[in-house]
Amino acid sequence: MASLGAFLLLLAFVISAYAAAASVAGARRRNGRLIESGIGALYLVAAVMTVASGIIVHAFVVGDFSIRYVQRYSESAQPLGYKLASYWGGLDGSIMFWVFLLSLFGATAVRVNRERHRELIPYVVATLSVVQMFFLFLMVAHNNPFSTYLTQAPTTGQGLNPLLQNFYMAIHPPTMYLGFVGMTIPFAFCIAALITGHLDDSWLRAVRRWTMISWFCLSLGLTLGMIWAYEELGWGGFWGWDPVENAGLLPWFTATAFLHSVMVQERRGMLRVWNVTLVITTFFLTLFGTFMTRSGVVQSVHAFGEDRQLAMMFTAFMSAVLIFSFGWVIYRLPLLKSRNEFDSWASKEAAFLANNWVLLFSALFVLFATMFPTLSEALWGERLTVGPPFFNQWMTPVGLILLLLTGVGPLLAWRSSTLGNMRQQFLWPVVSGVAAGALTIGLGIRVWSSGLCFAFSGFVIGTIVQEFVRGAGVRKQSTGTDLFTAMVGLVSRNKRRYGGYIVHVGIVLMFMGFAGEGFGRDEQALLKPGQQVQVDRYLLRLDSIRATEDSQKQMVTGQISVTDTAGKDLGKLFPAKWFYKSRPDQPTTEVAIRRSLGEDLYIVLAGFELGEQSASVEVHVNELVNWIWIGFGLMALGTGIALLPERVLALAGAPVGAEATVVLLLVSLLLVPATAGAQTASDGHGATAAGQGTLVFRSAEERELANEIMCTCGCRLPAGTCGMMNCEGKAAQLGKIKTMVAAGQTREQVIASFVQEFGGEHILARPIDRGYHRLLWILPYTLAGLTAAGLAVIARKWAAGRSAPPALTTAAAGDAGLQQRLDDELRDLD
Amino acid sequence: MPGCSNDSTMSSATSTDPGLRPWQLFLLAGMLSATAVVLVSNGRSTSSIVVLSITVVAASLVATAAFRSLSPLVSPEDLVPDAPFGSRTRAALEREKALVLRSIKELEFDHAMGKTATADFEEMRDRLKARAVGLLRQLDAAGFRASVERDLAARAPTAPLVDSASSSRASAVAAAEPGSSRACPACHKANAGDARFCTGCGAAFGAVCARCATPNDPDARFCKSCGATVAGPA
Repeated sequence: MASLGAFLLLLAFVISAYAAAASVAGARRRNGRLIESGIGALYLVAAVMTVASGIIVHAFVVGDFSIRYVQRYSESAQPLGYKLASYWGGLDGSIMFWVFLLSLFGATAVRVNRERHRELIPYVVATLSVVQMFFLFLMVAHNNPFSTYLTQAPTTGQGLNPLLQNFYMAIHPPTMYLGFVGMTIPFAFCIAALITGHLDDSWLRAVRRWTMISWFCLSLGLTLGMIWAYEELGWGGFWGWDPVENAGLLPWFTATAFLHSVMVQERRGMLRVWNVTLVITTFFLTLFGTFMTRSGVVQSVHAFGEDRQLAMMFTAFMSAVLIFSFGWVIYRLPLLKSRNEFDSWASKEAAFLANNWVLLFSALFVLFATMFPTLSEALWGERLTVGPPFFNQWMTPVGLILLLLTGVGPLLAWRSSTLGNMRQQFLWPVVSGVAAGALTIGLGIRVWSSGLCFAFSGFVIGTIVQEFVRGAGVRKQSTGTDLFTAMVGLVSRNKRRYGGYIVHVGIVLMFMGFAGEGFGRDEQALLKPGQQVQVDRYLLRLDSIRATEDSQKQMVTGQISVTDTAGKDLGKLFPAKWFYKSRPDQPTTEVAIRRSLGEDLYIVLAGFELGEQSASVEVHVNELVNWIWIGFGLMALGTGIALLPERVLALAGAPVGAEATVVLLLVSLLLVPATAGAQTASDGHGATAAGQGTLVFRSAEERELANEIMCTCGCRLPAGTCGMMNCEGKAAQLGKIKTMVAAGQTREQVIASFVQEFGGEHILARPIDRGYHRLLWILPYTLAGLTAAGLAVIARKWAAGRSAPPALTTAAAGDAGLQQRLDDELRDLD
Repeated sequence: MPGCSNDSTMSSATSTDPGLRPWQLFLLAGMLSATAVVLVSNGRSTSSIVVLSITVVAASLVATAAFRSLSPLVSPEDLVPDAPFGSRTRAALEREKALVLRSIKELEFDHAMGKTATADFEEMRDRLKARAVGLLRQLDAAGFRASVERDLAARAPTAPLVDSASSSRASAVAAAEPGSSRACPACHKANAGDARFCTGCGAAFGAVCARCATPNDPDARFCKSCGATVAGPA
């Protein structure tokens, strides 16, 4: 079986090469046979990859441990679901899975667009095939998932990394890959349009849906990753700005930018070069993300390990992609000229431009900060860490600007808005924003970033509500129906716009969840059975701590009864640690979460002594976290609406119904285990308090420092957030901080002594802000300033070069009959 | 091996009777092999049998795709239909028109919501309407060409094997022949072959591509569909 699999990979490579060659030759010589054959070959690759995938999945299911890859990532006792997930659990398999998805996506995209974009298809096939060839080459030459043990195949497997044995982690990579792989389709169409010179808007129409679907998969993947981090890593947060997380975020930024700027091109014929650039950049960033994860260029918890050869291959391919694509862009610049001019700053175009600029800046900033440690080591020989504190500090304002723009954009009209228009449009949203801000202050939330975020959220929600209400009002007037019918008609008539607004509402909710992180609380407590502690408004009592076992792992579970301060019973929570037999040194944290709309009570079993029956628990009260997941649900709903077929009102219409189904399916996948997967509080009866546990007292300075000093256990997180079991590194670091703070040292002194002790600033979660380290934020911000200035100059030039609109041709104006027909058609149009 | 079992069926597929489509044959073969697999692998776990069967059916897809990729190469003539370019262009024009009409509607909607100043609104609306009228005219022109085709077909019953694509080419060439006269698509008045505007109604003549019969903008130098130099009125 293994040799058949290896042969199929080789075969797929050869067929891809043939598909590329036949398509290009067919297109150049206008030979329909070759083109058709190339299309067939593309389908063939998909079919071959399906068979190869079947073979490796079969090997996992039956436990064929003579295949190295299967042996490393699976074991017999593993549940079937995780055996399947092991397919993409390691480096080799993930590349294969990548090619498999790409071949399926590519075949579908070509099949759907074969008739409509006949002139582009040969080059689309060629581009897809070349990308496939690259990944197939990686497998054949370097990381063959089918390579076997030459002698003495082991009889047992090592098992999938226990951290990955979580429902969300099993489906997180595939959705992420779907998003990444999906971005190849717009790229292929873009390259085809560049090569053929068919640079009107038709290629955009072909890729819009694909971009939206891929964008959605990327968002889903990122959200699943957040849920996983929240439930499995046990440090109470959901986003650690790890290089690999950032790798997923980068193409998300550019794809979001593209989804917005594409509207400007469709409506106004502007930003053509820009859109092409965005598509290429997005594809490049997906490659770059893969490269970062798989080559060990950056240090990260979930990188696959260092691999110089792989890094070289990726570098070569990425350079080739950049040179080839931008070469074509430059060659086609004359064809990409804008058809319209920029009229005014108070216009939708300008808002879109600003939105794009902010998104691109975000991508640039994250990219630069992620790569900075690598750069500083190469250039200055100094090891540094750029961790969460840095990103949180510098990305917060950017996020807030983006949120604000979400509210401003819809209020502006294309071309220009007058002052009177703007007053009328902005009044209510601003009022609602101010009200939200006042409410925040009234509630006693004194974190500036969270407060601003809530105010802006109010503004955006105000905008969207106003858009819906006024739109429905106008429609009600013109169609004479009631408000509800008018609202439904409004949405179904312009699904993309109103679907987009719903996505915006989802984004706002997610931002509110992010803002909640600003004022959550956390405590550490030592408990013995019967003892209780109070955290915030919760009383926690440890009932028992016991060890159990199943075929795969040992489990140590604490049982904690939760009551509120008034004595009302809130159920029991069961935080646990699981020790997998195959990897006893990597225990997993099973967090117990009591969810509610306002806040989560989040309990981690950080350490225990079974003999003494004592447990040390970390308790987090996380505000508003669930709104992130709810917001994502709305985002999915909005995307689904936007993806509905253009002209059909019926939901069950046409092939695109399938896309909506996929979206719904994915969302239900996401939501089902939200009730089942996480441990929820079960009912129990309250008992009398028997004693007091100890809350570990930590001063404000200590807490702050815990997030500035890195843990030494290899988790790549600040000591305060390391979720490892009985982590010595963490205990040591926190202990040191405690002593130093107790000795009256200032923040600077503590940091200085840590730097001295560890011989470098890599022990800090962010570099000290001095010397060339300042480049870290100065460079991106300066660049952003310069590009903003550049944009302004270009826009002024456009505006200045704008001549009076040419008089309408007499032919058009004079034709009364056609005018009449046009008016009739417009009237009939809903 | 499931992958190989279908290769033998593949070679026989080319000689099947026309009633059975090749992919149906392959799928059937795949299903049969899958059934065989289920029978043979008695006693194994359910999941492994399921995966095996899926793999075998996928192998039949490989055969189908291989057939799909090789058959165009050996087909006697250029199987690829030279595209019903006329209808595709028409569809493109229709789409463009729908887009412009939508834009007008949306503009009116925005205006009703108080987003645009009246002067701006009127100017933009008039521009869009002019574009829509132009598109309507082009669509009419396309319809006119279709009627010419019908006429041609009616007049030349002796050439039965002229397929629609080549006849549309012929008609297009006839329509764009410089020097000859051409009828205005809108008002049907006869004009000089190199006229850019109709002397009757003032409508602009689109340049019709001689190769693929796509109507182009009046000032087009190259066809937007096939890239050929437009031998139109320019």
